[in-house]
Amino acid sequence: MTNAPTNAASAEVTAIDSGARRPLLLLLGAALVWLVVSGVLALITSIQMHSPGFQADCPVLTHGRAAALRETAFIYGWAANAGLAIALWVLARLGGAPLRALNWAVIGTIFWNLGVAVGLVGIATGDMTSFAFFQLPRYVQPLLVVAYGAIAVSGVLAWSGRRTDQTYASQWYAVAALFLFPWLSSAAQVVLLWAPVRGTLQALASGWFTQGVWACWLAPLALAGAYYVVPKVSGRVLPSYDFAPLSFWTLIFVGAWTGGRHLVGGPVPAWIATMAVVSCSLLLFHYLIVGLNLRVACGAEGTGIKFIRYGLAAYVLGGVLDGITSFRGIALRTQFTLISDAQEQMAIYGGVSMMFFGAIYYMVPRLTGRPWASALFTVGHRVLVTSGVTVLLISLFVGGWIQSGELLDSKIPLADILGHLRIWFLLGSAANLVILGANILFLVNFCQSACVCSPIQASTENLFRQPTALEAPVS
Amino acid sequence: MSTPPNSDPRVDQAAVTDESLLAVHEKILGSQPDEKARYKLLPLNLLFIFSGLIFFAGTYMNRYAGRFDPHIYDENLKSTKGEAVAAAPVDPVVVGKKLFNNAACNTCHQATGLGQPGAIPPLVASEWATGPAERVIRIVLHGLQGPITVNGAAYNSAMPPFGRVAGSGFNWSDDKVAAVLTYVRQEWGNQASAITTEKVAEIRAKEGDHKPWTAEELLKIP
Amino acid sequence: MKNGPVFFLGLFAAVTISWAGIVLASHAQLGGLVPYFDDTEGKSFPERPAGIAARGQLVYADLGCASCHTQQVRRPGFGSDQARGWGDRQSVARDYIHQARPQLGGSRLGPDLTNLAGRKPSAPDAEDLLKLLYVGTPVHPRYQFLFETRPIVGEASAQALRLIGNLAPAAGFEVAPSERAQTLVAYLRSLNNTYEYPEARPAPAPIAAKGEAVAHGTPAASHQETKQEGKK
Repeated sequence: MTNAPTNAASAEVTAIDSGARRPLLLLLGAALVWLVVSGVLALITSIQMHSPGFQADCPVLTHGRAAALRETAFIYGWAANAGLAIALWVLARLGGAPLRALNWAVIGTIFWNLGVAVGLVGIATGDMTSFAFFQLPRYVQPLLVVAYGAIAVSGVLAWSGRRTDQTYASQWYAVAALFLFPWLSSAAQVVLLWAPVRGTLQALASGWFTQGVWACWLAPLALAGAYYVVPKVSGRVLPSYDFAPLSFWTLIFVGAWTGGRHLVGGPVPAWIATMAVVSCSLLLFHYLIVGLNLRVACGAEGTGIKFIRYGLAAYVLGGVLDGITSFRGIALRTQFTLISDAQEQMAIYGGVSMMFFGAIYYMVPRLTGRPWASALFTVGHRVLVTSGVTVLLISLFVGGWIQSGELLDSKIPLADILGHLRIWFLLGSAANLVILGANILFLVNFCQSACVCSPIQASTENLFRQPTALEAPVS
Repeated sequence: MSTPPNSDPRVDQAAVTDESLLAVHEKILGSQPDEKARYKLLPLNLLFIFSGLIFFAGTYMNRYAGRFDPHIYDENLKSTKGEAVAAAPVDPVVVGKKLFNNAACNTCHQATGLGQPGAIPPLVASEWATGPAERVIRIVLHGLQGPITVNGAAYNSAMPPFGRVAGSGFNWSDDKVAAVLTYVRQEWGNQASAITTEKVAEIRAKEGDHKPWTAEELLKIP
Repeated sequence: MKNGPVFFLGLFAAVTISWAGIVLASHAQLGGLVPYFDDTEGKSFPERPAGIAARGQLVYADLGCASCHTQQVRRPGFGSDQARGWGDRQSVARDYIHQARPQLGGSRLGPDLTNLAGRKPSAPDAEDLLKLLYVGTPVHPRYQFLFETRPIVGEASAQALRLIGNLAPAAGFEVAPSERAQTLVAYLRSLNNTYEYPEARPAPAPIAAKGEAVAHGTPAASHQETKQEGKK
């Protein structure tokens, strides 16, 4: 029936996992700490939405700075560390060999997180750059690129030294993310920080970077994990997989062209916004294929797969919404409102982070050789974070819809609009509180699972069931 | 194949091995040498959607890209024949007003156009300002010297040349002369005809670098 | 994907092409944008901001004001930008060429500030803005760290805020704006986009094609630019 190698030696947990344990757990631990930090900041910024006086006398936490700190801690703290850990592990697993150059990865992790910490202090004290996803002050940016490179070396070696010639979608996405971020970041640094271009060209370059970070870095990192975990757990072949390469290249090639998405009607030539509209439409193909490929997640069970299911729904829905709201007739209403925030949260929290959670829940027991420490915390985190994010998205979308309608009517003063949004801002704060609580549970659970100093149980064979070979589809 | 139950939320069980995962999916992509039946698996509807999106993208780009012109901000500005997209014309009265109030006019004639009794004649309801175009153009182009009677009152002063003529400290283009005259002739309740740039150019060509005019000289011109 | 070098080349090409298409192409188009010389006014627009205003923009950026305020007015038909009195025309690229860090912004929880100093009938004066920053409103936070409450030594400072009621400082004290507050306010008071560039008032599309084109792709604006460059 199948010609896949099914030797008994391919146990579920091997030296690939135990060898990478410390470096990857270090990355994950850093990621979770930043996730909680960013959650605290998210709570502060959302309280400031309904009570503008909150912490306003504190110069390091003006709304603008707190929002920048939250975003930076989320992207460069949580998403980067977690995504790198997942990408390295997936590449090692599929490459069939233990990770090499892990000392570099550890050094890179230390310097990356040091750089993020210094950068956050810099933002808080007034050195932020005011570009979306790129607020870190320029004195830490080169350090981050170098540190990233040091971590990524392991992954690229795992890719080029893989045991078989065969490749899989997870590997493409992981390698793309590892390889492309340094290019994106250094190109943006040159034109925005070291030799800034003039006037609105900065907004354009910043838009290119933001969308590039999304399409060539964050989304591929998340998909690398999801494409790996879904067939592994469900035991089913991905449907419509023959379109996966086209979907991959669509994302990578078209993604950054959506850079003018938020400049519709703005002080940039018409063709830039038109290009963004067209690119958002083309990306619909990518989202469609990802949805078709990973739909087998719906029939599977497990903590990780439940997260991935949520993430997948948010990812595909977010892509469709991006496509719709990029059109000028819609953008003139949704632009500059909470709907933009809602879409961003839907992408980076609902989509990417949920897929990260799913991959982490699958991955950590294999790294530590132990199950997660607490079933209660595991389920609690999942229930709380999914409901929290859902409520947050609802509050932003509904509030944004009301706001966008009232902004169109010039007779309604802005102060009144904010008054009408108060209930939704309060709901958003409640949601952020729930999310923060959930992520603290996650952090505690992770520490208990990873940091217990007892030796690894010898009974991993009993813990992990022996997987069987995947059967080829009958066509 | 049945999915193994994942009853423990603390650990997700894997159903399949990494090797078979790679091998089976690689086979779907058809890059295995013994695989011949690649294209029969391609669902045509997905290909159709993809090409539909490409077609839409091309059409939309063609229609709304504003010819990739950096100065076109309105995507609806469609001129398919490669014509220049001109700026909307500026109202000469608006330009004239700016000129009148920024340059020297208002220092003597005042922003109200009422002038100064005994020295500077008024422009409001003045038979000169609203009179023949031939005369006012000459006054602004080359200036005016000596006594002049306006609305029955006598004035005596000198007006400098504004046109692009020898001895002019202003060097205004014919456009500007026409605009400021149009403004003067249509402001403050004046209702004389507008002055065109062509008319100014014609008179400047005809008179050349004439010295400032006197009232008698001008009265001889129809 | 099997062929490593080709795979990496493809990834690299993806980033490079989008980079060239968006950043480089628009830089080639707009990077050389020069101020527009207005013959009527005898000046070039936009005017270069005063040094204190340019420094104020850095304060605006580092406090993150752009997280609630935009600085871009869209053309009529795009929302109520112009009906709300935020500007009489759409913002164009030329408006921003003298700005070190354009603050286009992405959220309108607060009003657009593009034309704050050019608003009609009355633009806020320095005192209004300083009071807003010190006192705040129910929807605008107060930034009292930008001010200094200090004892009056000798004569009271001319810059001290005139505060009444429970906001007034204790007797013998005054509330004075710090240098950052002053530069920020100078920046806000320099925001003005009242000048109309030709590209901000495009003529309606021609109804019928008029045979052979007279000037190939030469909008009035670039014509003016060449004239001006010729003069220099």
